[in-house]
Amino acid sequence: MSAYAWYLIRRFGQFVLVVFVGINVVFFVTHATPIDPVEQAISSVTQFGQTDPRAVEIMRKALRELYGLNGTIWEQYATFWKRLAAGDFGPSLSAFPTPVSVLIRQALPWTTGLLTTSTLIAWGVGNFLGGLAGYYRKSRLLKAAGIAATGLQPIPSYIMSLVMLILFGYIWPILPISGGFQMNVSPGLSTSFVWGVVWHSILPVLSLVLITIGAWFIGMRSLVSNIVSEDYVVYAELAGVDRRRILTSYVMRNALAPQLTGLALSLGTIFNGAIITEFVFGYPGLGTLLVRGVNSGDYSLVLGIASISIVAVATAVFAIDLLYPLLDPRVKVE
Amino acid sequence: MKTPVSYFGVFFVLAIGLAGNAFGQASYLAGIPRNEVLICENPEGRITNPAWFNIWVVNHGGLSTGLQQLGMDTLWYIDADAGIDGVWDNSLASEKPAYNSDFTQMTVKLRPGIYWSDGVEFTADDVVYTVETQMKNPSTVWGAAFLASVDSVTAPDKNTVVFKLKRPNSRFHAIFTVRWNAAWVMPKHIFEKQPDPTKFDFNPPVTLGPYTLKSFDPNGGWYIWQRRDDWQRTTLARFGEPGPKYVAYIDPGPPDKRVILQLNHELDIIHDTTPEGVFTLAKQSPSTHFWFKGFPYAHPDPTLPAVLLNNQVEMFKNRDVRWALALLIDMKAVSLASYRGAATISAIGVPPTGLYPKYYFDPLEDWLKNFEIDTGKSKYKPYDPTVAQQIANSLRPSMGGQIPKDPKEIATAFGRGWWKPNPEVAAELLERAGFKKSGNQWMKPDGTPFSITLLVEGEPRPTMTRAGTMIAQEWRQFGIDAKTQAYPSGFFPRVESGDYEAAIAWSVETWGGHPDLSFFLDSWHSEFLKPPGERQPPRNRQRWSNPELDKIIEQIRAIGFDDPKGVELGQEYIKLAVKEMPQIPLMSYNVFTCMDTTYWTGYPSAETDPYTDPVPNWANTKYMMVKLKPTGK
Repeated sequence: MSAYAWYLIRRFGQFVLVVFVGINVVFFVTHATPIDPVEQAISSVTQFGQTDPRAVEIMRKALRELYGLNGTIWEQYATFWKRLAAGDFGPSLSAFPTPVSVLIRQALPWTTGLLTTSTLIAWGVGNFLGGLAGYYRKSRLLKAAGIAATGLQPIPSYIMSLVMLILFGYIWPILPISGGFQMNVSPGLSTSFVWGVVWHSILPVLSLVLITIGAWFIGMRSLVSNIVSEDYVVYAELAGVDRRRILTSYVMRNALAPQLTGLALSLGTIFNGAIITEFVFGYPGLGTLLVRGVNSGDYSLVLGIASISIVAVATAVFAIDLLYPLLDPRVKVE
Repeated sequence: MKTPVSYFGVFFVLAIGLAGNAFGQASYLAGIPRNEVLICENPEGRITNPAWFNIWVVNHGGLSTGLQQLGMDTLWYIDADAGIDGVWDNSLASEKPAYNSDFTQMTVKLRPGIYWSDGVEFTADDVVYTVETQMKNPSTVWGAAFLASVDSVTAPDKNTVVFKLKRPNSRFHAIFTVRWNAAWVMPKHIFEKQPDPTKFDFNPPVTLGPYTLKSFDPNGGWYIWQRRDDWQRTTLARFGEPGPKYVAYIDPGPPDKRVILQLNHELDIIHDTTPEGVFTLAKQSPSTHFWFKGFPYAHPDPTLPAVLLNNQVEMFKNRDVRWALALLIDMKAVSLASYRGAATISAIGVPPTGLYPKYYFDPLEDWLKNFEIDTGKSKYKPYDPTVAQQIANSLRPSMGGQIPKDPKEIATAFGRGWWKPNPEVAAELLERAGFKKSGNQWMKPDGTPFSITLLVEGEPRPTMTRAGTMIAQEWRQFGIDAKTQAYPSGFFPRVESGDYEAAIAWSVETWGGHPDLSFFLDSWHSEFLKPPGERQPPRNRQRWSNPELDKIIEQIRAIGFDDPKGVELGQEYIKLAVKEMPQIPLMSYNVFTCMDTTYWTGYPSAETDPYTDPVPNWANTKYMMVKLKPTGK
């Protein structure tokens, strides 16, 4: 068996182990929370309405039975893995009896759309400009871009979101500040829906891009700055190779490998959602769903989202590990 | 390198600007003219289970999506304020409930000529089905309550329902009487076709209310309701045609954004925002209308936030300790810290809202002025009737003409008196309870430091959290080791578990418009008190029991809902609660509802037309619809 095949088997074993341990940790952490979904449900029912104290005990017993919380934690653990093996996370406790998978399916496209778009834009533009800034070190415009990137990078996402909100929602109110698409439009492949989605995503995407672009810019500029002093680049310049070709084929290509790793990891984490951005812009997504699950003690929902996130990150790392030896011949499998 | 990047930047900004001007405002709500829709905030935010409208299932979709406000109906409504035609409204019922002499049977006469939105007539069979179906499913919202009370329910004819009860219950009708919500009537003809009514999403909902669902966001961000063509066949038609053709309930996001949306006239009713947000709107938005035309702007809900003292914790079992803690609170500082002064304070165990000033505050004012504490060393009259006046005076330099001067207006807006802080008297009370001061620290009778952890909700309820922080600071200044603990998720379940010493929360909620106190008080009877370690059913969250209180509750149970003796008994409860101080009342729960008059006029107002609670998540919001008229813009 080739060295690469052994490497692949070892990495797959690690992948399975990471996913198994991660999901187990999430299962026991969520079940250790002091928030009881039944008590949360009773509280929501009794907080405003007239309540007969005799009725509360009847309701508590009925809900505990309905939610399947009467068994021991080990019985619940076994049920969880049985369901998961069939690709089912069970019913949500805070949106009973709707299955967790349905809730995730509703939110997932928005999160992946928002975060994939913003991550790719930030990665592409940040690396492109960072590469240029590292190579054309005397350009004033690129120096200014470097200052802007350094300034934007440490801004917390909630500050950036609020700044965007006030700028484009109040001072110059030209962009929608709430929701994922126009009200009273049915989701589908209609022009009004698609255009509405694009239009409503501009501010959330812009907020995310602006706070992440700086890291890509600075990282790429620093990588390129090191590469331009390598012998093969100096030799190419002395040999009269076109500077654009040196930049694209000799410098940026070699600097991209670590940035690709970073991209894969960033894409893997998009399943966590963008809680603050979703909250500020009233944008649908997994982040809001996750927070609601945590606050209501909805084990099933939290487990569902966390499991998907664990699998996604582990898969991204696994894919990069497999591709690395193929992409960069300097990386050996042994 | 400069040129393409620079051009791209300029082009990007211009493109957004042009497209924004062309698309921005017009695109807010597709296909519906802005002046035909009333846009309200849904305080539940984004709904987790958006396509569920089966309101009878626990943890279904949203309540404040317009579903219970515009689509549901039930037998009776009691308004938190004056009411559109008096406080009590016979909605689906045509008369008040009729009980037999020992309150074991309740007969209801139903209003004829009411139809579901699909054209089927509403009858007594729907009410019977509602009760029986939920009794068979005790996990439903009102199933357990019916199961605990109802022996049988029958419909002798299509307009009469008879309930036979398991035990005498003079307040059984409360389950069908809206304060914030109530048991809604189910459409039998829809649900009886379902194999399991608890697993039916009821989408689209068939309504008894004057609106039907037009469209909704499958991600739970907005719901749009359309006025029924046959609105005349709904109970609201008695008061006229609902003004808005459409009503949208939306998740507008955090408080700052709600203010921006209203400044842009894209949100007609803000459910609640921060005091600071209200001050901004009051200054910058001439079209915004508030419950009070000036300070404190907010609507005082008939709920009484208080310092709950866990009466099963050893140090709080002694009345002297509870009173000492009350005498260490400076209400002026708490009002300014919590609501920036926009609070309506209360010294007694009912909120100062709706018609309660008339029923309870005015009649007890002299009694309060003469109320005396005997510490064993001195006698002290703790009530200061001028505290609200002092708060108003302290705000006048900064808020100017927005602060009323008329004492009656001040009493309505800011409340009346409260307890005078008096550390000397507090010290005498603590010493009588066996506490001692060692250096700057008070010690308990067992010699350990007197420390209190004051539980607050934290970020979800900033005003109450700020009140708690101020109170803990005042106790610390006196030498008590007091600190706050924020518990944002699962706050009320934790309080009900008894796992707390003191908390800023509430256990008093009233009808607001009706003087009967059984809504909260009945659950304070000692028969429902759980021992430490067991979960206390709502609402005796302070775990207080008292034989005198039991007698008052039993006397209330024995009389009818409208019996004038109920007010006398309510006053007896208030006097007992003042003497015993089982919790320290603070203020009403003020909700900063902001109403934009750009497109709609006729909102309720404390001064001119207090016909209903303006807070749009209350089911009484339906009454607002018939009073709202388009401005013509």
